[in-house]
Amino acid sequence: MNPTRDRPLALTMGDPAGIGLDITLAAWVDRRDLQVPPFIFLGDPSALSERARLLGLDVPVRETDCDHAVSTFDDALPVLPVTCAANVSTGIPNSANAGAITGAIEMAVQLTMAGETSAVVTNPIAKSVLYDAGFQFPGHTEFLADIGERATGKPLLPVMMLAGPKLMAVPVTIHIPLKYVPDQLTGDLIYRTCAITVADLKARFGLPSPRVAVAGLNPHAGEGGALGHEDDAIIKPVIDRLKAEGVDIAGPLPADTMFHDRARATYDVAICMYHDQALIPAKALGFDDSVNVTLGLPFIRTSPDHGTAFSLAGKGIARADSLLAALRMARQLADNAAEGKR
Amino acid sequence: MTNNTQRPVIALAMGDPAGISPELTARLLSLSDIRDAAHIVAIGDRRILDEGAACAGLTLDLASASLENFEAAGTTRHVFIDLGHLDPADVERGEATLAGGTFATRNFRTALELAHHGRAQAVCFTPFNKKAMRYAYPGYDDEIRFVADVIGFTGKVREFNVLEKVWNARVTSHIPLSEVASSLSVEAILAELELTQACLKDAGYDVPKIAVAGLNPHAGDGGSFGMEEIDIIGPAIEAARAQGYNVDGPFPADTVFLRALKDGFQAVLTMYHDQGQIAMKMMGFDKGVTMMGGLPFALCTPAHGTAYDIAGKGIADVGASREAILLAARMAKRSAAQAAAA
Repeated sequence: MNPTRDRPLALTMGDPAGIGLDITLAAWVDRRDLQVPPFIFLGDPSALSERARLLGLDVPVRETDCDHAVSTFDDALPVLPVTCAANVSTGIPNSANAGAITGAIEMAVQLTMAGETSAVVTNPIAKSVLYDAGFQFPGHTEFLADIGERATGKPLLPVMMLAGPKLMAVPVTIHIPLKYVPDQLTGDLIYRTCAITVADLKARFGLPSPRVAVAGLNPHAGEGGALGHEDDAIIKPVIDRLKAEGVDIAGPLPADTMFHDRARATYDVAICMYHDQALIPAKALGFDDSVNVTLGLPFIRTSPDHGTAFSLAGKGIARADSLLAALRMARQLADNAAEGKR
Repeated sequence: MTNNTQRPVIALAMGDPAGISPELTARLLSLSDIRDAAHIVAIGDRRILDEGAACAGLTLDLASASLENFEAAGTTRHVFIDLGHLDPADVERGEATLAGGTFATRNFRTALELAHHGRAQAVCFTPFNKKAMRYAYPGYDDEIRFVADVIGFTGKVREFNVLEKVWNARVTSHIPLSEVASSLSVEAILAELELTQACLKDAGYDVPKIAVAGLNPHAGDGGSFGMEEIDIIGPAIEAARAQGYNVDGPFPADTVFLRALKDGFQAVLTMYHDQGQIAMKMMGFDKGVTMMGGLPFALCTPAHGTAYDIAGKGIADVGASREAILLAARMAKRSAAQAAAA
């Protein structure tokens, strides 16, 4: 028996004005049919109950603790309360609730690092709402890394991975203007991103020898320097170094020919140089069931691959597929990690 | 009932003899829908073509003609101009050679000259091998450069990628990624939209609907991840609309092709090479057509390569080559009709 199986997943509230509450409720309603792994919701119980009423869902919300969440899960949606300061208006974000939104995230990390919960799954937040309340991080991921750094005292490089059934892709640079990409791409950043990816694939994805494919930056991967120097001057030396360290790695590959079916069969993860190089193939291969996984943190974290969608909140049309995939993947990674440690 | 006099004359250059080009040429010359749509004047060596026909299991019924006066051969049968310049014994199947490149460049040059002098209304070719072309013509960067050299054309020529449901045009192409942002301007985007619209109209779309991709992640997310959408791409779209174009965007690049298919856009204008190529290749662009727009005549070729690995086996799929000829025929017919109306 795997002991982590008894520990629920920690699911954060996200922005309560958005669809996070809708998809949380939908996931619980489908718990039996879709074998949803048990989670405990960290957030405002009355906001959740109110949204259930609005959606016409009969969902008993029960305040409990991590020890009793798994046994509760079949009968009621377990909640560890994090109370919102202001009443939640469906679809209308309120920065007065920023404290509860970030508080739930902090709590999820603490519980997971303490072994009370087995992984962190985050519902979507809207950064602009948090900025109004003084939030200082570029995004969710950087905030999680900061919490992890404060807890461990070690600097962390969070690495974003998009994981779907047909492709796992890691962008080395993410939410920056395209014109800054070449300057940001240092050998050190590419090396650390690859190394973290490989380490996590080994420790958490059950891949003892992950096969890594690295995309080039320029058209045709630079075509020997004719179309840009970065592929040969910056990316290739990193690949050579990782090869020498025993990593099964190939590249820099022309980005346009590395994502069709036959090419994808040759690797486990694609390392991409910029956001859209990873996101174009990921989205072409399927929207609904792709998951964001943050690698390089001292805890497991997944999240659905969409935003708060305020305009859809409370209407009963938000799809829970990506959250379900995020919950399943978090469970799988937690089990793999526990298996690996035994 | 086909009216032969209205069929455009298409000069078809045999491509690299070491790959599937001979077989494809033979297949094209025997297809009834191509016979209905165009009068083909094929250029190459009859011995190489006959090997391709044997490989495809076909017996060809062609009129032989001289380069100087192929018109005398009439239009009841397709015409073959035998330059007699390559002995099959000199072909190394599956190898890029000087002999192969010399054969293909001479065929291509001849076909271009026929169109340049108004003796053909369009040019098509079966796949070339770039390495072989460079052996024969060291300045061979790509087809566009070669065409410009041969016919002394100094105007703007652009490569379009054409799939059955969507075309892809790009503002920048074979340049380093670091130069993309600084190469964008309202004028450059407008010029590209103009050419795209003109080519789509020639291909039979009366009011083409064009989607424009952003440059940055999430199309800049309102300026958070880059300003080009606000400063350059948006104003270019506005200006095009003011001129009556049916154009929309800038759309996030990771979903622009999905949107185009869903919302019935006939073309996507992308800002750089891989932004379009990743998506197009995943949608099966190997089955698509490459069209060079902006020349005084239509120029089309299958998007796939020489397929050295299946050369001589009789299994090459003629689909993309067939589409290339049919597209060229449509465009040639349309511009002839426009010229007559003017």
